[in-house]
Amino acid sequence: MIETKNLSKIYNPGKFEVKAVNDVNSLFKEGEFTSVVGPSGSGKTTFLNCVGGLDNPTSGDVYIAGENITRLSGSNIIQYRLKNIGFVFQSYNLIPVLSAKENIEMIMLLQGIDEKSRRLRTDELLNQVDLYELKDRRPSELSGGQQQRVAVARALASKPKFILADEPTANLDTASTSNLLDIMSKLNENEKITFIFSTHDQRVIDRARRVITLEDGKIVSDTKK
Amino acid sequence: MNIITLIKISWRNVWRSKLRSFVVIMSVIFGILGGIIMIAISYGLNEERMNNAVDTYLSHIQIHNKSFSDDYNIKFKIDNLPQIEKAINNDDRVVSYSKRIILNGMLSNSNGSYSIQVKGINPSEEIKVTNTYEKIIEGEYFKSKRDNTILVGKKLADRLNLKIKSKVVITFQDENYDLTSLLYRVEGIFRSGNSRYDGANVFVRNLSITKNIPNFSGFHEMPILLTDIELRDEVKNELIPYSSNNIVEAWDDISKDLAYANEMLAAVLYIFMMIILIGLSFGIVNTMLMAILERKREIGMLMSIGMNRYKIFLMICFETIFLSLVALPFGLLSSYFIVEYYSVVGIDLSVVEAGLENFGVGTRLYFKVPDEQYYIVAIMVFIISIISSIFPSLRALKINPVEATKTF
Repeated sequence: MIETKNLSKIYNPGKFEVKAVNDVNSLFKEGEFTSVVGPSGSGKTTFLNCVGGLDNPTSGDVYIAGENITRLSGSNIIQYRLKNIGFVFQSYNLIPVLSAKENIEMIMLLQGIDEKSRRLRTDELLNQVDLYELKDRRPSELSGGQQQRVAVARALASKPKFILADEPTANLDTASTSNLLDIMSKLNENEKITFIFSTHDQRVIDRARRVITLEDGKIVSDTKK
Repeated sequence: MNIITLIKISWRNVWRSKLRSFVVIMSVIFGILGGIIMIAISYGLNEERMNNAVDTYLSHIQIHNKSFSDDYNIKFKIDNLPQIEKAINNDDRVVSYSKRIILNGMLSNSNGSYSIQVKGINPSEEIKVTNTYEKIIEGEYFKSKRDNTILVGKKLADRLNLKIKSKVVITFQDENYDLTSLLYRVEGIFRSGNSRYDGANVFVRNLSITKNIPNFSGFHEMPILLTDIELRDEVKNELIPYSSNNIVEAWDDISKDLAYANEMLAAVLYIFMMIILIGLSFGIVNTMLMAILERKREIGMLMSIGMNRYKIFLMICFETIFLSLVALPFGLLSSYFIVEYYSVVGIDLSVVEAGLENFGVGTRLYFKVPDEQYYIVAIMVFIISIISSIFPSLRALKINPVEATKTF
């Protein structure tokens, strides 16, 4: 469970301050499939950055499974992210010099998982995202959709409690988007992984079971389907 | 993540921009090449100068009377010479030796007078110790039946306009400080490769001196040639006890400037090599900073997914070090082959002959690099590459993952 309490992020505090996230209280339960939507500059990305422990809020707290991650020190928050949070980026952000298999394996290497377990998990994830045949290809040899599927597999590699995905379909065509959403929905249903997206994409919003709308850093609506 | 994986990623990162890495690697190769060739030339010149001095006039060890160096009076002869000769004759480490009469005086003809040192020698002994007989450029090396022939250096011959068969007079002080003059005829002109030596030394048969100075016997200088120059101190120490009136000196005791140049050379070359490598390190640092700038997003992503600062630091360090380490074997090998080639063939420097002769060096330069220099250069490159890696790595750590990844 993820909970934000009076979460605020203010840029340039003082004279020209911008309230990117303004006193947001929210709760995400295990197994949710949520879209955070809103116009550009509404604070979606900043909200996810704070929830993921990438950015420090100006005030307020973020609790994940009861632990206040805003109180964690630099190295502890890195370890926390590594073990509990999976990230999917808009521009994939795969390591170009590593193959699809190695990109997925990397998270587990960072976690110090033994070789046999790594191999098994990597193969399992490659099958889940339907890329086993392309496991030895480098990112430059994969399409955008395939790269994003590798990024999803990478995010899942550490068996995180939840996955944060920022505009994951922004660079994908319709077929790739549909394919990616199918995979993520299946993972959500079968493995009860919590997904939180920030998106503009109506196709993602349509598939989400909960939609939170942000405007000027505040939640203006929170609907469950 | 284990260190092997980190090394693997770093290695692959080096080859992401092949052209850029190639340019840096080539610059390091040429830096190493330039540095080692500089070392080769310096050692080559120094060894040439040292060998020239040892072969032409110093030999490995010399024995004199202690007072002779201060006064140069011909009465200060080597003490206990028969015992010393006996010891030397029984010593396997000694290749040959000679006995010289040394007179300090003036050489004159109608064109002028010059201060010189006369070496009275037995030619058949002397050719086993020094190579002056190989340096004769006009005339012959004591083949005349006459006793009163003289070999003069090219520089002195030019100054006094001496030709073969020219007459000269040597004037010196005898044991009683009375002036004595001897007449000689030029039999040969030598060019040793050291113009200072050629302008101040002449050779005569020692018989020509003893015949003209009544009651004079003995010798002032005994040059000794050994099987190995490194044995000089060992042999020297064994010869010292034969007489407390004598002074036994190795070549580096006699010619302190040469010995000092030898010692200083290595230190100076390390400084030059370090300057070259520091210059190169700026290029490496610049390249790595560019690479980090290009990969800001990727490094930010690695930080986001949980790669800690220590591993990011190590990854960039490895990449920087790899650039130098890839260049190192190529730089060393190419240097080695070039040095080996020119250590045999040599480089013709006859265009600067006059300058080199003043320096005591011949006109053909043979490269020389002691083996340990290659190891030292390798270690220096390694150290410089580690130092170069620190700044880019620290810069990488300053990347803010939120800003770098933009979307996260």
